[in-house]
Amino acid sequence: MSGEGQGDIIIARGLNKSFPGPVQALADFSVTVRRGEVLVIVGPSGSGKSTFLRCLNGLEEVDSGTIVVDGIPLDENERHRLEIRREVGMVFQSFNLFPHLSVLENISLAQRLVRGKSRARAREFSMELLARVGLRDKAGSYPAELSGGQQQRVAIARALAMMPRVMLFDEATSALDPEMIGEVLDVMRQLADDGMTMVVVTHEMGFAREVSDRILFMEQGRVIEEGTPEQFFNSPVRERTRAFLRQIL
Amino acid sequence: MHRRPGKNIASSFDVIKYLLTLGGLAWLIGRGSEQLGYSWHWHRIPGYILTVSHGHWQAGPLLEGLMVTLEVSAASLVLAALIGLVTALLRLSGSLVGRVLAVIYLETIRNTPLLVQIFFLYFVMAPILDLSRFTAAVLALAFFEGAYASEIFRAGIVSVARGQWEAAYSLGLSNYATYRHIILPQAVRLVLPPLTSQAISLVKDSALVSTIAVYDLTMQGRAIVAETFLVFEVWFTLAAIYLLLAFMLSLLVRLVERLLAGRGQPAWSVQ
Repeated sequence: MSGEGQGDIIIARGLNKSFPGPVQALADFSVTVRRGEVLVIVGPSGSGKSTFLRCLNGLEEVDSGTIVVDGIPLDENERHRLEIRREVGMVFQSFNLFPHLSVLENISLAQRLVRGKSRARAREFSMELLARVGLRDKAGSYPAELSGGQQQRVAIARALAMMPRVMLFDEATSALDPEMIGEVLDVMRQLADDGMTMVVVTHEMGFAREVSDRILFMEQGRVIEEGTPEQFFNSPVRERTRAFLRQIL
Repeated sequence: MHRRPGKNIASSFDVIKYLLTLGGLAWLIGRGSEQLGYSWHWHRIPGYILTVSHGHWQAGPLLEGLMVTLEVSAASLVLAALIGLVTALLRLSGSLVGRVLAVIYLETIRNTPLLVQIFFLYFVMAPILDLSRFTAAVLALAFFEGAYASEIFRAGIVSVARGQWEAAYSLGLSNYATYRHIILPQAVRLVLPPLTSQAISLVKDSALVSTIAVYDLTMQGRAIVAETFLVFEVWFTLAAIYLLLAFMLSLLVRLVERLLAGRGQPAWSVQ
């Protein structure tokens, strides 16, 4: 289920990032993710969780620090950035499906453009992925015709189509109506069971407790506390963590 | 849908007002031309549009001119769209040189009269580069309308939601692939209406190429007037033809819009 000593897939060291404004998004932030591990990052809003995810695949640039993903350094080299993006799938809070393309085209596009697959092979794999997220019958639909939960499941399938080594989830259920959160979390749980390396920013503490291998609590761009779900929920060390848990549980 | 009961009455009242205004206008023109002692020869006009000789239809000068107007407009429309798109991409690019070039082009074109641009291209550039009349006319129109088209394209591109870029990038798509498959298809749908009015402007502005003796609709009209003194009839006819042309163009685009609008709406930016 979890990674057994196959090494680290994400190594982030000493990341700093600030936006205009008083708070620093990342302050000397370091983290390592093992292959097959499910790392959940929690923390109050504005604590830098999303910024960290967005730095991992180069959507944001760090001010200083080093990021290495699957042995590829994220640096000035544009080719490295593209390579990392191919290996890292991302799921957004607001789905960001391509509205002018059908569900099937949404999932097939990058397979054909980036992986150079034929239309037929891309289609075949896309249908397989749609079956996995339980939306095989929606291949011909357009995003606007789907519910939020369905859209997010398509977005997960779209990211999986690149056969990524790591999946990043940026508050993937925060924009969903309560009754749709479950179906998306189920897909994510399935992925974790299949051994996918995942970095998940979420407010779903149930998911964090059940699925994660490790929880990281972040505030003001720093790691406040880090541990297994049992340690984190049952015996947090830092007072700040206890205050946070009291607020949300 | 609920229909307001007064609506039908109100709209038929509008039609009556409209007809009265038209009637009044016709009466004014009729009276004015009578006072001038103008003798109308409307029966001669159809001959300038289409004639039958030896059992064959033959295009009159006005129809020939219309064909030239359509050719000039179509050629410069395609070119203007291309120039507009490239300029918009340059302005949005990371390259400083590209942005400066685009701004210089835009400011030059938008702050000089089209007539001067046509003369400049025809009297200055054409001899240097050995361009034909027609080419000079097409280039002048294309550069002029392209400047406005580029602003339209730019607005369309920046109004596509940021998440679309991020989703495309996170899949490993290159900049080019992102523009080509994700951003532009959505941007073009957003800007189709303003692009249409720009195209209609282009058709109307094309009348100015008659000043460098390109035998378009307007030039043919001027030639007929000079020959026959059918001043009123010819200019009325020309205005009607341009009106019809613009009307058909907007009809065409509405049709295209309807075809595109069915499914898959673009993602609007929320800013």
